[in-house]
Amino acid sequence: MNIKILDSWLKEYLKTKATAKDIAKYMSLSSVSIERIEQHNDDRLYDIEVTTNRPDLMSVVGLAREAGAVLPQSGIDAAFLPPTIEKKQKTKEDLPLKIINDNSLVYRVCAVVMDVTIKKSSPTITERLEASDIRSLNNVIDITNYVMRTIGHPAHVFDYDRIAGHTLKIRESIRGEMITTLDNKSYTLPGGDIIAEDGDGNIVDLLGIMGLENSVVTDDTKRIIFFINNNNPHKIRKTSMGLGIRTEAAQMNEKMIDAELAMDALLFGIDSYKEHADAKIVSEIFDIYPKPYKTKRVSVKLAHIQQVIGIPLPLKEAESTLKKLGFGVEISDEVITASVPSFRASDIDIPEDLIEEIARVYGYHNLPSILPPANFIEPVNFGANKFYWEQRVKNSMKYWGFDEVYTYPMVSESMYEAPSSEAVRLANPLGEDFVYMRTTLVPSLLKVMQQNTKAKEMRVFEIANVYYKSENTLPNEKKVFAGLIKKPHVSFFEIKGLIEQVALDLGIPKITCSSLDSSGLETSILLDKKSLGTIEILDEDLINFELNFETLVSHATLHKTYTPIAKHPPIVEDISVIIDDSVTSETIIKTIKETDRLVTSVTLLDRYQDTRTFHITYQDPEKNLTSKDVSEVRAAIIESLTKNFQAVIK
Amino acid sequence: MLMEQELMTIKNNAVSLILDAGSEKELQEIKLQFLGKSGALTVALKEITKLPQESRPEIGKLANEVKKIIEESIENATQNFKSKKIEKIKKIDVTEPGIRPALGHLHLVTQAIEEITTIFEKIGFTRVSYPEIEYDWYAFEALNFPENHPARDDWETFFIDQTPDPKKGPILLTPHTSSGQIREMEKQVALQKQHGNDISIRMLNIAKTYRRQSDASHVPMFHQFETLVVGKDISITHLKGVLDYFVKSYFGESRKSRIRPYHFQFTEPSFETDVSCGVCNGKGCKLCKEGWLELGGAGMVHPNVLQNCGLDPKKYKGFASGWGVERVLTMKEGLKLDDIRMLYSNNIEFLEQF
Repeated sequence: MNIKILDSWLKEYLKTKATAKDIAKYMSLSSVSIERIEQHNDDRLYDIEVTTNRPDLMSVVGLAREAGAVLPQSGIDAAFLPPTIEKKQKTKEDLPLKIINDNSLVYRVCAVVMDVTIKKSSPTITERLEASDIRSLNNVIDITNYVMRTIGHPAHVFDYDRIAGHTLKIRESIRGEMITTLDNKSYTLPGGDIIAEDGDGNIVDLLGIMGLENSVVTDDTKRIIFFINNNNPHKIRKTSMGLGIRTEAAQMNEKMIDAELAMDALLFGIDSYKEHADAKIVSEIFDIYPKPYKTKRVSVKLAHIQQVIGIPLPLKEAESTLKKLGFGVEISDEVITASVPSFRASDIDIPEDLIEEIARVYGYHNLPSILPPANFIEPVNFGANKFYWEQRVKNSMKYWGFDEVYTYPMVSESMYEAPSSEAVRLANPLGEDFVYMRTTLVPSLLKVMQQNTKAKEMRVFEIANVYYKSENTLPNEKKVFAGLIKKPHVSFFEIKGLIEQVALDLGIPKITCSSLDSSGLETSILLDKKSLGTIEILDEDLINFELNFETLVSHATLHKTYTPIAKHPPIVEDISVIIDDSVTSETIIKTIKETDRLVTSVTLLDRYQDTRTFHITYQDPEKNLTSKDVSEVRAAIIESLTKNFQAVIK
Repeated sequence: MLMEQELMTIKNNAVSLILDAGSEKELQEIKLQFLGKSGALTVALKEITKLPQESRPEIGKLANEVKKIIEESIENATQNFKSKKIEKIKKIDVTEPGIRPALGHLHLVTQAIEEITTIFEKIGFTRVSYPEIEYDWYAFEALNFPENHPARDDWETFFIDQTPDPKKGPILLTPHTSSGQIREMEKQVALQKQHGNDISIRMLNIAKTYRRQSDASHVPMFHQFETLVVGKDISITHLKGVLDYFVKSYFGESRKSRIRPYHFQFTEPSFETDVSCGVCNGKGCKLCKEGWLELGGAGMVHPNVLQNCGLDPKKYKGFASGWGVERVLTMKEGLKLDDIRMLYSNNIEFLEQF
């Protein structure tokens, strides 16, 4: 969460000659990130990112305290000036106010009733709040925000005379209860929200998040209840996120705000109302705080500090840092025992928490940069490295002209292709387009194609996981490799050839295709007789494939064997035959090859109408072949083809 | 005399054929026709042996001349064709476009992952991958997230519609690669039980991650790269060393890095890591924050996390970092990609730019 603070406001609580630039630099390095400094009239405005564990820094006082500890480390004089708060407030009248609290919802309530005069805020308050992006409305409302930013505890104000029975009962909402917030928006509560109702049972506040229209201060307000409530942060977050009301107060209250600050906030607020709203206290000062903070202690050994930081930091330095940050410190036998201040209670529990405090103030920028010692490095094994193969395939695809895409694994119901009872489904999807975890990449690739209507030709691929439901365990994730070619009259053999080359490059000599399925548009690709994937002809201009990438990689090898190069030249010739279409070329090639050991290679050279031409290589490793040798084999081939397939030789 | 006439006829025929030849291939055929094994001149030469002894030298001489003339004519004609070809080559317009082999494009994210992997492998990191769909235990519980942490609620993390495991909790889409830390440490602890060696981890986990978000700088699916180093004497200085090495390798030697305090559940101390802005060289500009760009989170592995994986935090220390692949991509000087959703638009015109 980011907050904006004027330099002049910060320096009301920080005595230093440091420039804004220095403050930003050293606070960023050692405490909280001051992301930008903006010029603001004659002043400087800090834009500060405060992490969720440090709600104490969402205030001017908290930031000043940190700056007082951090700046001197870099040789810049700085001292924290705590706010002066009048602890003994006098009260004249005793107006009734009844507060019924539920301690599981609100940990502390501090409240008081005051007579006030509504008017515009002072120029200083207006400027400070508006620079912080908080709208200035009137003095009474502005002071609640001013207290929040100065002290670090959110505050609220009711019109005392609009609260029936002068009673506030804090309870959990029931699902379906309705409220109208002060900005005139109506909400139906989900239930379990922290609300307050008045003596007549009307809901008059959505605590910690936003005031309600029926109890808010108006121009006619004469008496106010100034109300500080320290809340259960989880309840606040749930309500605030559920209703989408993200006020500054809600964003603070959903973090663990220090309850010890509540009374400081009340007293600081009373002083402000006196100064800026002619306030008079007309009730007792309420403080409902059944479980006050008990100081916790955390210890850390010096050796431990030095080991984590990596340098021999002196004990004295650790001690003085913790003290400056508000910790109590005792030392015995090189062990530091720190008493944790209440405003750090939610964040400091273990020795490492103290080490962080000591190290950051010492300055991470003052530590050396050293690569970790290479005691053990895992050996490289390319053949077994699936990332190596993945990158290799991707590179091949690139150099074969394919574009790689990354599509979302969450798909809509229409793109989900398996039975929905087997689906890995999101319980809280981000819209209907992202409901199911996909079981195939193909619909995603088709969507890419549809989105790129301008492209007449397209070659795309993706390697990504698909997901299958598994009973009583995590879904089964499987890496698949899919691709698509869109091109006028695209040939089936372009995809088949591509897959053959991918396989060959992975050291896999042979894959086979089963005949087209009954629909005539899909074929299975087999590797070692096991299914590797499919090729699907979608129409004349569109073909896709999808392979189980893990199966492919499990067969991949970098193993190489040298075959001696033949000493005796081969004889090659082509034979053209007419054989019925029902006989596959693969079968014919196999038949020719098996005729004689001298046939070393057979390929389909050409297919024209009903004639297939095969290119045959004859070779003998032992001697030069004569035309007589070859003519004998040729005769045997012709005989075999004629006998088996009624071939007509051309 | 008959023989002489025959030789002259052969010569004349050959020369006239050579002059008429239209290609180098034809010349080769002519050569075979006259000078080959059964060529006209070869056959005629065989006849010489049948001639009377006294006329043989003269005829032989003539035959050799004829052979020489044919050979030279073929050679000259061949040269002629070659120089004509060269003349033709000399006339090409070299400014016309080249005929290019196929070249597709790898996705920017793949390119970044490859670079990141190479950088970390050089200093001994081993790449791993773990489930994208995980139990709460790996994504949150073992990483020391408190029960009510905002990241664990429905607004930030995607959950799978499946009954939670009684021990490991609900099933979700990993919101960060840090779940890999737990998987890796569990694996190493199991190996240690078998082999009894000391644990030494240098992990690089690059994976898809998911969060319920979508705007110009956020997409519901993105990629992170996680490092985890665990050993006996690992300190903050080592984290700084690796950060510095990565920043100089990936962004360039002139870039600086820094760590500053931050907050994460699974590290203590925790850091935000920054890289000096390449546009203003760290002076401060519109694109950066006072001269720095945020790279991502890092920290010393929280003792609870070590303990949750069965490691003794007194014996072992570690550091981890989890940075966005898209983040480092868009931080590179000159890319100028201001809407991260473009990466997943799968617009071919976009993909083919890289």
